[in-house]
Amino acid sequence: MSSDHTHNPGFIRKYVFSVDHKVIGVQYAVTSLIFLFFGFSLMMIMRWQLAYPGDAIPLIGGWLGQYLVDNNGVLLPEGYNALGAMHGTIMVFLGVVPLAVGGFGNYVMPLQIGAPDMAFPRLNMASYWVYVLGGIAMLASFFVPGGAANSGWTSYPPLSVIANVDNAHHFWNGQTIWLLGMVLLITSSLLGSVNFIVTIVHLRVKGLTMFRLPFFVWAQLVTSFLLLLAFPPLEAAGVLQLMDRAFDTSFFMPTGLVVSGVVRDEYAGGGSPLLWQHLFWFLAHPEVYVLILPALGIIGEIIANNTRRPLWGYKTLVYSVVFLGFMSFVVWAHHMFLTGMGTTMSNFFQTTTMIISIPSVVILTAMLLSLWNASIRFNVPMLFALSFLPMFAIGGLTGLPLGLSASDIQLHDTYYVIGHFHYVVAPGTIMALFAGIYFWFPKVTGRKMSTLLGHLHFWPTLLFMNVIFGPMLIIGLRGVSRRLWDQTEYVLGAEVQGWTVMSSWGAWMLGLSQLPFIINFFYSAVAGKKSVENPWKATTLEWAAPSPPPHGNFAEVPVVYRGPYEYSVPGAKEDFQPQHLSDAKLS
Amino acid sequence: MIASSFWLPPNIAERGSEIDIIISYLHIFMAVLFVVWGVYFAYCLVRFRASANPTATYADAKAKTSKAAEVIVIVIEAILLVGFSIPVWAYYRSEPPTADKNPLTVRVVAQQFAWNIHYPGPDGKFGKTRPELIDEALNPIGLVDASEDPNRADDYVSVNIFHIPKDRDILVRLTSKDVIHSFAVPLLRVKQDAIPGMEIPIWFKATKTSEETQKIMTRAYAVPESAAGRRAEKFINRNRLLITMSKNGSVPAGTTLTAEHLKTLIADGITSVDLAPAFPVNIQCAQLCGLGHYRMKGQMVIHESDDYEAWFAEAGVEEVFEDDEEEDD
Repeated sequence: MSSDHTHNPGFIRKYVFSVDHKVIGVQYAVTSLIFLFFGFSLMMIMRWQLAYPGDAIPLIGGWLGQYLVDNNGVLLPEGYNALGAMHGTIMVFLGVVPLAVGGFGNYVMPLQIGAPDMAFPRLNMASYWVYVLGGIAMLASFFVPGGAANSGWTSYPPLSVIANVDNAHHFWNGQTIWLLGMVLLITSSLLGSVNFIVTIVHLRVKGLTMFRLPFFVWAQLVTSFLLLLAFPPLEAAGVLQLMDRAFDTSFFMPTGLVVSGVVRDEYAGGGSPLLWQHLFWFLAHPEVYVLILPALGIIGEIIANNTRRPLWGYKTLVYSVVFLGFMSFVVWAHHMFLTGMGTTMSNFFQTTTMIISIPSVVILTAMLLSLWNASIRFNVPMLFALSFLPMFAIGGLTGLPLGLSASDIQLHDTYYVIGHFHYVVAPGTIMALFAGIYFWFPKVTGRKMSTLLGHLHFWPTLLFMNVIFGPMLIIGLRGVSRRLWDQTEYVLGAEVQGWTVMSSWGAWMLGLSQLPFIINFFYSAVAGKKSVENPWKATTLEWAAPSPPPHGNFAEVPVVYRGPYEYSVPGAKEDFQPQHLSDAKLS
Repeated sequence: MIASSFWLPPNIAERGSEIDIIISYLHIFMAVLFVVWGVYFAYCLVRFRASANPTATYADAKAKTSKAAEVIVIVIEAILLVGFSIPVWAYYRSEPPTADKNPLTVRVVAQQFAWNIHYPGPDGKFGKTRPELIDEALNPIGLVDASEDPNRADDYVSVNIFHIPKDRDILVRLTSKDVIHSFAVPLLRVKQDAIPGMEIPIWFKATKTSEETQKIMTRAYAVPESAAGRRAEKFINRNRLLITMSKNGSVPAGTTLTAEHLKTLIADGITSVDLAPAFPVNIQCAQLCGLGHYRMKGQMVIHESDDYEAWFAEAGVEEVFEDDEEEDD
């Protein structure tokens, strides 16, 4: 094995088609960051139409093409729907998940368990390239006749099945390519998840028992099981929808559809549109935890490191995360309360939904209790990690009125839902991902990021996240439906239009606030101050490797002597005791 | 009580306040929890900052308080679930108005991008429909000829305008011709997906007429400075179909606002007008249904009981479609 790690494989094998988990991790991270910014840009365009309905989009309106804008540069309703569908798809499946799992998981997890690489390096490479293919498919769909998919990121049939099929290019249109793209992305996740599970179970170094694993590794392990078990149903459903579109089967198409006055009897009929929703949400609810758990893992690492004390209730945290994983499989239909569900079903799903809120409260409480009697260092990663706590709290709490079926009647499919899940994923998960980038950047590049630019990034980002999503909760309580091209069409929408304008300005300002980060990221990677091996005085194994770690990671295989967060141990010389140093070496 | 809390729109449904109560209690609970967490959080950040507390304590803090807090959270959630949400949902889903309450039964057939309201007429029986008879302009729900089904003779179909009487149970049988829509009337605390191939019943009872609702929803608006320009057009557009209710008489109450009126108001030095929507009770589509999703708007017209009967007697005589909503995609 060691000879394998010393030979020089050449540029292409080393940096493009690499099998090294660190190179793949960086590839995932950079690709997904680009997709995150692209997906966010789509939203910045939509926010113009929302704030100023019917006004031409300034600067770029003329360049957006016939599928998105009219001759005057005004965003078309179908263009708006396409941007909305693609924003959701790109942010979730091409941005956050690949960054949290493919990026952070790939890079950090093997280091934290002392492994030289993932268990199946070639599978790892395949997973990344299948993801890239999925991304290319999604991007290409903007340029096919009719433009990109425009039936929402949820792609509910019959709308999605009949979308664009009547144009000349029956098959190669946005929705079809979206389905193919999803099949590729899910395949990529599946390949990754198998690899993660095997790696965590088999490649831990000597002494690293399951309850000595860093919390981040536990989070990745549970996430991998969710990816493994929840994603195949949507992959199957995607293929079925493809059949409905391409070959007029009727898995999701009921009998007797009449669209624009035309009886659509090419579909045999007898299918159920609700079947899609069940399959979709069976994936998409665990998906929420795929977005959240790695973020919680990152937050745990950074909070332990910067409070200089062990994470409060490590085992409680682990059990809570495992419990969350299990429960996330039995709450999916709370997305479907208004599909005609009876009392028995809704009572089951609202009860499980209330139950799943308990471990989330426990995890948040544990993180907060970790602050008690701490010695808190306010560095940039810690600022992002701390901001995650109240933001995630808002996201979680606003889930309650949606999880109870009675209050959901009023709030379902309104902006309240948008506000809720964005608080979980944007000021929540994305803040955690930023925290992770600032935290592990010195390990990956061997250089530090600028603290000043970090502050210039953090404060406006936190402010504008709230300027965007806070008003959405108000607009939603007022009763305004989501996905409206122009909410001023309605009395209630017109009343709260001011909040929508504010939200839009928040989004554009948030875009500007990312400039310091982009500069910091690229400048520091090339010319940042050199960093030592363990700049944060951390305890976990990744900090035992050189910065950046060479191919194969560790000069000699480490042995683990203790748990992951032995900070401020009474009587110890230093306030941290790395996992890989024996007691003899520490004294 | 009409005064809305937590930005909720006015409630004009008999049992809508039950939903409002759950939403209000939940938000109070959420706010208390958030403030308690927030105060503790802020205290920790200040008290345990590295400069104030250079050495951290290894042992976990005792967590009696937090355990108690978790138990309280569980108990409150259980109460909200069992005491409020389950019974309210039961009313909305499994306690339809009984025959002795003489509910008005109506079919609502959603389509891209309109609401077809199918009244059974005095016989209370809906005429048969067949998909192949659908004609978007003349027969939007595909009713058969009266010779084939006599029940159809007194049926009446209205597009986008949904007339109902106040204080009577309304039972809607909701379905869709094409894709999934969602019938949402925020003021009536009603929302239900309309799914092709399924007919789903929902019910509600309005306690205010449209006119009474209009009064509740009257608000003061600033008159834009440039009355002739684009801003005025937008102002009128964005506050669609608003009518002035009062103000020193230069424009009489009850008038539908136009750009001309704005000029008059500005000439008279009036900077603010009280406006109310002409149709205050909108039906929105809440489920993405295509490019016209945003304009899939219907109006509820809520009459006093007698006025409703009078309206129906007149409307039912001839097949009129108030709104020739020939939508294309």
